[in-house]
Amino acid sequence: MENLNKKYISPLVVGLGAGVLTIVPVIKSLGCCLLIPVAAFIALMLEQKANNDFSKLAIKKGVIFGLITGLTAAIFGTTFDFIITLITHTNDLVVSFPQMVETINSFPIKEATRDEVISLLSDVVESIKSYGFSPLYTLSFLFNNLFTNSIFGMLGGIIGVQILNTRNAKK
Amino acid sequence: MQQRIRVILFLLIIIWVFGIFIEFFIPLQNNLAYLFPFFEGIYSTVCHQQLEKLININGYQTLVCSRCAGIYLGGLLSSFILLFAFKINFKNGKLILAASIPMLVDVLLYSSGFYDYTKSIAFVTGLFFGFIGIAYIYNGLQILLVRNGKSE
Repeated sequence: MENLNKKYISPLVVGLGAGVLTIVPVIKSLGCCLLIPVAAFIALMLEQKANNDFSKLAIKKGVIFGLITGLTAAIFGTTFDFIITLITHTNDLVVSFPQMVETINSFPIKEATRDEVISLLSDVVESIKSYGFSPLYTLSFLFNNLFTNSIFGMLGGIIGVQILNTRNAKK
Repeated sequence: MQQRIRVILFLLIIIWVFGIFIEFFIPLQNNLAYLFPFFEGIYSTVCHQQLEKLININGYQTLVCSRCAGIYLGGLLSSFILLFAFKINFKNGKLILAASIPMLVDVLLYSSGFYDYTKSIAFVTGLFFGFIGIAYIYNGLQILLVRNGKSE
């Protein structure tokens, strides 16, 4: 178990860092969709530096490291967002709610559909404002993060291995 | 890489890109409005979604910024072309690093105030990066599948 922890320490640490960065507004907008792929790349790079082993990396390792980085970032990102929402009773959804309602109102759709979608959203927003928590929001946020971060992490790992192998071949 | 896998990847990328443009399809299929908040949530995890950076056509907006839309459309275009290519063979990572330079230069220049953010530049630099990026992903998957095939 200790060996396993050591083996995957870099994606876990970088994943934690990326999880924190995904909720910091300015960094989040700078990193955009490249934050998690870059994190996976850094995890691979750190692992090589820590072990002083610059031999050719296998793509499989990139996929595994990317997946672990993405999943760790998703779990920590969701946890931090959950805690902050619980304390402040507000989050991105609450802030963007008026804009979202405006957007939905602009859709040329049936009145009943529009009312239903807005009512569903306002229930979630009201729950967050009152209790700092909405089960539907938390679950969908966790699912979104797990889904996108794991995929983007793996993609970053696949590309990262190819970049690192080029760099190491020069050394 | 097997043609079947290429087709599956292409279809997955189409679904992902479709999600970006969901607002454009809602007038055609009203029930998509139920998915709108969910999709907005999914794309918010991969893009800042700043209003002034979204692509806006006839009042309908994309769910990601111009650069991200460029990256994903570039990926879609590349994956379509790769449906007809038999084998990709990137020996090193120089091309992807080169493809990321225009994007990074654009981010650096507009962030440091040399010029204002332009959606078209962001889109084109993203498109170029996405086009090359997906080819590298295919290349990596190709190597992975060949290795797995040998080990079995």
